[in-house]
Amino acid sequence: MSEPSILFFEVNERQGVFHRRAFLMGGLAGAGLLALGGRLAQLQLVEAQRYQKLSAGNQFNYRLMPPPRGLILDRNGTPLASNRPNFRLLVTKDKDLDAEAVLDDLAKLVPIDGTRRARILKDLDRAPRKAPVAVMEDMSWEEFSRVNIRAPELPAVTADMGEVRVYPFGGAFAHVIGYVAKVSDRDLEAAKDDPSQDQDLLHHPGFRIGKQGVEKAFDQDLRGRAGATKAEVDAQGRVVRLDPEGDIRPTPGKEIRLTLDADIQNRALEVMGEESGAIVMMDCRNGDLLCMVSAPSFDANRFVRGLSGAEYKALAEYERKPLLDKSMTGTYPPGSTFKPTVGLAALSAGIDPEIRIHCPGSWNYGGRTWRCWEPGGHGSQNMHEAIKNSCDVYFYQTALKMGPDAIARAARSMGFGQTFDIGIPGQKKGIVPDREWKKRAFKKNPANQIWFPGETPSYGIGQGALTVNALQLAVMTARMANAKKALVPRLIKSVGGVEQPSGASVPDLPFPAEHLEYVRGGMAAVANDVRGTAYRQSQLGLGDVQMAGKTGTAQVRSYDGVKNRKGYATTWRLKDHNLFVAFAPYDDPRYAVAVIIEHGGLGGATAGAPRAREVMRVALLKDPEIRARIEKPMPLPDAPPEDIVEGAAPEDPVVTPLPATPDQGPRT
Amino acid sequence: MTLSGGLSRPGERDRPIIKFMEIDWTFCLVLCLIAGSGALMLFSIAGASWEPWAARHLVRFGIYFVIMVILAMVDLRIWFSIAYPVYLVGLALLVAVEVVGDVSLGAQRWLSIGSFRFQPSEVMKIGLVLALARYYHGLSADSARFSWRLLVPAAMIGAPVLLVAHQPDLGTAVLIAATGLAIVVLAGLSWRVILTGVIGVLAAIPPFVLFVLHDYQRNRILTFLNPEQDPSGNGYHILQSKIALGSGGLLGKGFGLGSQSQLNFLPEKQTDFIFATLAEEFGFLGCFGVLFLYGTVIFMALRIASISHSHFGRLAAAGTIATFALYVLINGAMVMGLAPVVGVPMPMLSYGGTVMLTVMIGFGLIQAVRVHRYTEVTSGKGSLM
Repeated sequence: MSEPSILFFEVNERQGVFHRRAFLMGGLAGAGLLALGGRLAQLQLVEAQRYQKLSAGNQFNYRLMPPPRGLILDRNGTPLASNRPNFRLLVTKDKDLDAEAVLDDLAKLVPIDGTRRARILKDLDRAPRKAPVAVMEDMSWEEFSRVNIRAPELPAVTADMGEVRVYPFGGAFAHVIGYVAKVSDRDLEAAKDDPSQDQDLLHHPGFRIGKQGVEKAFDQDLRGRAGATKAEVDAQGRVVRLDPEGDIRPTPGKEIRLTLDADIQNRALEVMGEESGAIVMMDCRNGDLLCMVSAPSFDANRFVRGLSGAEYKALAEYERKPLLDKSMTGTYPPGSTFKPTVGLAALSAGIDPEIRIHCPGSWNYGGRTWRCWEPGGHGSQNMHEAIKNSCDVYFYQTALKMGPDAIARAARSMGFGQTFDIGIPGQKKGIVPDREWKKRAFKKNPANQIWFPGETPSYGIGQGALTVNALQLAVMTARMANAKKALVPRLIKSVGGVEQPSGASVPDLPFPAEHLEYVRGGMAAVANDVRGTAYRQSQLGLGDVQMAGKTGTAQVRSYDGVKNRKGYATTWRLKDHNLFVAFAPYDDPRYAVAVIIEHGGLGGATAGAPRAREVMRVALLKDPEIRARIEKPMPLPDAPPEDIVEGAAPEDPVVTPLPATPDQGPRT
Repeated sequence: MTLSGGLSRPGERDRPIIKFMEIDWTFCLVLCLIAGSGALMLFSIAGASWEPWAARHLVRFGIYFVIMVILAMVDLRIWFSIAYPVYLVGLALLVAVEVVGDVSLGAQRWLSIGSFRFQPSEVMKIGLVLALARYYHGLSADSARFSWRLLVPAAMIGAPVLLVAHQPDLGTAVLIAATGLAIVVLAGLSWRVILTGVIGVLAAIPPFVLFVLHDYQRNRILTFLNPEQDPSGNGYHILQSKIALGSGGLLGKGFGLGSQSQLNFLPEKQTDFIFATLAEEFGFLGCFGVLFLYGTVIFMALRIASISHSHFGRLAAAGTIATFALYVLINGAMVMGLAPVVGVPMPMLSYGGTVMLTVMIGFGLIQAVRVHRYTEVTSGKGSLM
């Protein structure tokens, strides 16, 4: 049938070799399959848990749910900082995101102009992968729904509802509360290694960080803790399914209640008008700050949205410095508002207040002429009259009698030259000069390290090296009014419902009650003696509720050789600072107020006192006990009309804006 | 002329019905089980849908199964006579693809005839096995051990391997080379030569990787060696595949519940990485079962090769199953992170018509060897035609 072409044994040999090697090959294949099986066992049985975790990490994605920021309220619960809904547009960055194309699509739905487009592209460029970048904030409902309807065609785009900080009073609380703003690169850098910071939250596009004031100081309390929504996602990051049961609810931030009163604060900013300066009001019984205004102010809401370069420049370069907090960061010479403190120092030094000093309008000492603000002189006065008249000559001489260290001691006891822990940063200590201070301040100039006697007289009228801030002035006034306790100010009433320590649990002042009573009497005369420097401007028009105060002028330039300072300075920058401190009611002190009007002109009565009076009226009228006191003795129809006229201000001061500091003569 | 019951009469074994009965139906059943598993997985990853993969997978398998049965009844002597022509046609097509082939994914692999596109390298997988088997059929044991005559098989293997590698399709080139070498070894190559060759290849690997490979090919190998260095780029495939496998655990996540494949984290889930899908949904037990089926196919085929009376049949069957085994081992190792990612599918399980057709034609050849195990294949003495 066939011819054997190969010898038979050869056939057998070939077959044998094949069988052996096929057997070997089978063995190799079997070994290979077993190796695969072993590897499977390793992955699926030994390391299964690890890979199950990785798989779940792939499958489920926790999308951060930012916590609502804690509210900031005034003492009565009026919100000073709250949150409102914000419709915004996010673009999720991905490896193959064509940002230009996405923006082209979006531009058909919402307005995106050239500069905004450039900014978005920059943001997208900087953002980490898979991070959502806010393209638009504060969209209208129409824009929001227009984008939402087309969301399926725009895979990288999400329109969502977040929350944004809102300050209902705009600028009134801007310096105290501060503002929140976008997390900057520097913030991220600072928080990078801080385990207490939620890094994911910091990177969330809607998240804002406190940048100033209470918002900054209590940022961690206000923040709360982020929650998360659990979502099943596919490899492209698209949400396949939401799992509400797996959600973690965010913990809202703590509520912070301030001691400030929105009504008083708003009125204070209102009465400041165009002026630059500060008004601080403090409760004389417990140290609560009722008002802390710096003017001019700025709208904190603009900062939340992000300020344009031009806007910021305008704010930063305006000569009245809206960004500076003049209530505690700005320091000023106190001028004559310092005289009650000098009086206290003199009483402590054992100087008899009834010793009369003659003021002829000037005084020669150390080879120069020291002028009184009243060129005609005040005649012979004791300390009470000298405070009432704010006589410079009296205080030049009294200061010289006791020396700078005695004055500095009293000044520190009254609250000057120090900062108080009110919870927010930014206070400047100012300078309370004495011999020790001179040694420190002139380290490099040994010749200047000794205290020259010629420095003491101006110290006595609150000039020279002495500088204070408005908060310190309010503290001084409150301590003077309280006449017992060394009150400290309190701004933060409660954090998350936890009441903060009151400013009343403090030691007593190191002055005998009768000394304080004497000086208070002088301050009462300033406001209520018809010849007091601020009599007309200090009438509250609230029946027998009376105010006590002290005027002050702080020179910003030298008047050497100028005989009469009235009407001398011309441009705003060269005008004197105008100060006024006051407390009321005189017979039962409750509220102390300090007003600084930068370059307000000569005489604290002109610009400072009327504003202090207006703010004081709001505080007093809000106080139910004072109200009851005012309203109880209903004036009878047949009562003598003079009484009412005498107790009232020239015009109805509650509703009218300020009288534009008209006819009164300037008093220091 | 072995005597065996009713089949002892001359010509009896040539009757189609007898041939049909001689087909190894157990073997066919195992093939159906594997293809069925593939369809099941394809159904699952399409989101419990027959479209787009599962139905077509089954239809294809059905058609190819019929082709296999028909081929099984083709006389071994016909297989023998077309061995060289098939090889030469395959070689010609490989040359053609160099000249006029379609470029797809940066490699020239496809040839279009009208609307029909196919890869000539698939033809070569069968052609080389047939040609080598035919050549060795006429070679003495001594010559097969080591002689100048081995230059011919060396050239027969070398030509297509170089052509395929030049496309470049490294995976297929390695597969073709390994298949050819398996036949050379099975035919009785001297152990000394084998050892020398292995050492030589090992020594040649580093310079080859450094100087000959394309960048993407080199990256795949480097990524394989250290997948964590770039988990979202080149290492992504391997890492996601390992996650799918590992997270399956002992019993798997359940049919249709594999999050890795369902949510597209797993790349090429319906083709090269379908084994990972299986592992994720059916766990260690499911995988082990499928590997067992593959093992069964390999051992049954080797047994068929061993019982063949003709050297041609032995080598053809063994060479074909060697290709198949290499497919399984390479794909398995790749999916499990033991080998670099090369485009080698899991035969019968993965979606894709070309490879399945090649494999089924191969099984047709194996079945033909079984059906015609007593056939004397005489002609040829190492001659080329």
